Amino acid sequence: MMQATVSAAPIQMVLSTPLHSSVLWLIPFLPAFGALVNGLTGRWARNTRLVDAIALGSVALSFLLVLCCFARLLGQAPADRSVNQTLWTWFDLGGAHVLGGLSQNVMAWAYKFDPLSGAMALLVTGVGFLIHLFSTGYMADERKNGEYYRFMCYMNLFVFSMLNLVLGANMVIMFLGWEGVGLCSYLLIGFYFEREYAAIAGKKAFVTNRIGDFGFMIGFFLLFMIYGAVDFDTLMGMTRGVLARPEITLFGYSHAPTWWFNLAGCCLFLGACGKSAQIPLYVWLPDAMAGPTPVSALIHAATMVTSGLYMITRMNFIYANAPVALAVVLVVGSLTAIVAASMGLAQYDIKKVLAYSTVSQLGYMFMGMGAGAFSAGMFHVFTHAFFKAALFLGSGSVILACHHEQDMRNLGGLRKKMPWTFASMGLATLAIAGIFPFSGFFSKDEILWQVFEGWYRGGSTLNLACWIVGMLAAFMTAFYMVRLMVMTFFGDYRGAGHDPYGLTVPSEVHHASHDDAHGHGDHGHAAHGPQEVVWNMWVPVFILAVLALVGGFLNIPHSLHWIGSSHFTAWISPLLFQVHAPEAHEAAPAMEYILMLVATVVWAPAAMILAWFLYGRDPSWSRPKAFVKRFPNLYRWCNAKYYVDEFYEAALIGPCKQLGAQLWRFDSLAVDGMVNGAAKFTLILCRVFHWIDARIVDGLVNLVAWVLQQVAQGFRRFQSGRVQNYAFVMFIGFLAFAFWKFLV
Amino acid sequence: MASMNSVLFISFLLFSVGVAGVLIRRNVLIILMCVELMLNAANLNLVAFARHSGTVAGQAFALLVMGLAAAEVAIGLALVVALYRKKDTIQVDQINLLKG
Repeated sequence: MMQATVSAAPIQMVLSTPLHSSVLWLIPFLPAFGALVNGLTGRWARNTRLVDAIALGSVALSFLLVLCCFARLLGQAPADRSVNQTLWTWFDLGGAHVLGGLSQNVMAWAYKFDPLSGAMALLVTGVGFLIHLFSTGYMADERKNGEYYRFMCYMNLFVFSMLNLVLGANMVIMFLGWEGVGLCSYLLIGFYFEREYAAIAGKKAFVTNRIGDFGFMIGFFLLFMIYGAVDFDTLMGMTRGVLARPEITLFGYSHAPTWWFNLAGCCLFLGACGKSAQIPLYVWLPDAMAGPTPVSALIHAATMVTSGLYMITRMNFIYANAPVALAVVLVVGSLTAIVAASMGLAQYDIKKVLAYSTVSQLGYMFMGMGAGAFSAGMFHVFTHAFFKAALFLGSGSVILACHHEQDMRNLGGLRKKMPWTFASMGLATLAIAGIFPFSGFFSKDEILWQVFEGWYRGGSTLNLACWIVGMLAAFMTAFYMVRLMVMTFFGDYRGAGHDPYGLTVPSEVHHASHDDAHGHGDHGHAAHGPQEVVWNMWVPVFILAVLALVGGFLNIPHSLHWIGSSHFTAWISPLLFQVHAPEAHEAAPAMEYILMLVATVVWAPAAMILAWFLYGRDPSWSRPKAFVKRFPNLYRWCNAKYYVDEFYEAALIGPCKQLGAQLWRFDSLAVDGMVNGAAKFTLILCRVFHWIDARIVDGLVNLVAWVLQQVAQGFRRFQSGRVQNYAFVMFIGFLAFAFWKFLV
Repeated sequence: MASMNSVLFISFLLFSVGVAGVLIRRNVLIILMCVELMLNAANLNLVAFARHSGTVAGQAFALLVMGLAAAEVAIGLALVVALYRKKDTIQVDQINLLKG
C-alpha cells in the first residue's frame, strides 16, 4: 500500500504539474526552421536526402512534441486543459478607440494549447508528416531538376503557418496563420508555375481567398470594436457581459448585441467560405488540383480547407448567440454539399472527383456547425482528414503508377496490380460512404442527426429541408466514390491499348496540358504496366486508411453508448459556450436508431450497389451512356460544373476586367494627361523664367559691371606710371597746401 | 655780410632749380643731383636762420642733413645700378610699370 502510493506520487506529480510551456513555441517553429534551412541552403544541397531529413525531421519532432503536450493535457482536469505561452509583445495597441475601452493594451505573440487546438495540431503534424513521407516518393522526379528543396520548403512553411493558425491564442496570430496558409497554398498550387494553367489556378485560389479574407477582417474588426480584445479566452469570458447590454452602438447604429453577433458571424463565415471552399467561393478548390497530389491531400483536403471550420468552432461563443448567422452557415453548407456532390457525379478526372467530394464534405461539416453541433462538425473534420488524405494520396499513387494519367476512362483494373493502394482506398471509400463501423458513419450520421433533431424537436422546417438535401448528397457521395473505385480498380487495364468497349479518350498527358503532368519519358518504368508504388508511398496511405477505419470510435454517438463513449465531444465541450445550462442526456429517440439504420444499411449501400451495377457489372457502361444520351443537358451541366466558372467570368470577372480597362484608359488619358500637362506647363514656365534670368537678371548684373568698367576706363588715365607725374602732382598739392596755409 | 633776404632768395632759387630738375629731367642721375640741390637749399636756409638767431642748432641740423644726404645718395645710386641692370636704361619715362 505504502509502496504503491510512493511510486504513484511522481507520476501524479508529472501529470498534475502545469505543462512545461516553454516547449510550446517549438511546435510551430520547428517546421519554420526546416523551411528556413531548406529554403536557404537546399539549392546547394548535393543530396536531396539531406533535404528530406530536415523537412521530415522537423515535422516529426513537432509531431512528437504535440503528442507529449497532448498526453499531458489528458492528465489534467477538463477545466484546466489549457496552456498559454506568450513569446513576445508583437505590437502595442496604443489608444485604439473602441467601444467600452480596450481590454488589452498590447498584442502578444502567444500560443494556446487546449483540447481543440491540440487536436488540430495533432492532425496537422501527424497527417502532415505522413504526407511529407508520401511526397518523398511522389516528388522523386523533382530530385533531379533541383526543384525538390523548393517543394519541401513550401510544405514546411505550410505546416508552420497552419500551426500558427490553430495554436494562436488570439485572432491576430490566427489571421497571420490564415494568410500564411493562403500564401503556401498559392505557392504550392503554382508549384509547376512554368505551366500556365497551374499559375492561373494559383492566382485564382489566392484572389478568391482575398474576397473571403475581406469578410474575415471585417468580422474580426467588428468583434474588436465590440469587445476591445482579440484574445480568445478574453473574448469568451466577456461574452455574457456583452450579451447583457441592452444595445450596442457602433458607427451611429444601435442594435441589440445579437444583431451585431449575426453581422460579425456572417462576415467571419465569408472568410470561412473562402478558405474552406463553400458556395459562392468554392471555385478555386477544383482548380487547385493543378498542384502536386500531396499538396491536394495536405492542403486541399486534410488541413487548410478545414481552417474555416476550426475558426467557427473557436468563435462558437459568437455563433451560439447568432441564430441568423448559424442559419446562413446551415443553408450554405447543405447547398454546397449537394451542388458539389452532383458535380462530382459527372467528372472523369480522378482528382477532380475527389476535389468536388472535398467541397461537398466540407459542406457537411458546415451543416453540422450550422445546426449548432460544433463538436460533430469538428469530428467530421478529423475523420474526413483521414479518409480524404488516404484517397488523395491513393489517387496520387495511381497517377504516378499510370504515368500521370488522371482520366479514369484510361485507367481500370488496377486492383491486382496495386493491392495496397486498392485496399487503402477501398477502406477510405467505405468510410466516406458512411458504412458502419467506419469513421464516416459516426461523424456524418451524427451531423445529419443533429440537423434532423433541430426539426424533430420542434425547430424550424429549414432543418428538415437541409437534412433532406444532406441525405441526397450522402447518396451521391456513396455513388461517385464507388464509381471512382470501379472505374479505377475494376475491369481491365485500359491504358495499354486494350479497350474492347471504346471507353478511353485521347490522353491529355502527352500534350502536357493536364494536371500534374510533368517531364515524361524519364521514369524508367514506362516500359511495363502500372505496378505497386514504393513503400514510402503506400505505407502512409495505408496508415491513413487504418485511421479512417478506427477513427470513428473516438466519438460514438450517445445513442450507441453501449459501444463506447463520445470522447471527442466531451474533450471539446469545455471550449464551447453554453447558452443554456447543460441538460442531462435523455434517452435517444427511436427515430435516431431508425435513421441510423436506414442510412448505413439501406441508403449508402443502395447508392454503392447502384454504382456497381452501372459501372462494375457492365464493363461497357452502356446504361450511363444511354442515360447521358437520354438527358444530354443534365450531363452537360453537371460535367461543366453548372457553368459557375463561366457565370463568374461573365458576371464578375469580365466586368471587373472591363472596369479595370476603363480605369486604365482614364488613367492614361486623364491622370497621365494631367501629369504630362503639368510637365509641359512647367517646361513652358521654365522657358519664360530662363528668358527673364538671362535677359533681365543677368543683364542688370552685367550692366553694373559695364558701368564700373566705363568709369574705371576714365580713371585709369590718371595712372600714368611715371614717377615724375606723381611727383608733380605731389608738388602741386604741396603748393596748394602752402598757398591755403598762407591765406588762412 | 650778405643780408638775410639775399641768402633766402639764393636758397629759393636753388630749391626751384632742384624741383624743376626733379620734375623735368629724365635721367635718374640728374634727378638725384637735383634732390641734392633741394637738400642743400634747405641746408642754406637752416644755416642762415641759425646765424640770424645766434644758436647752433640749425648748423647742427645742416651737418645731419649732409650725412643723411650722403647715405641717401649711396642708396639711390645702388638702386640706379640695380635698375639699370634690370631695365637697361635709366630714363624715368621708360619705367612705367604702374601705368593703369
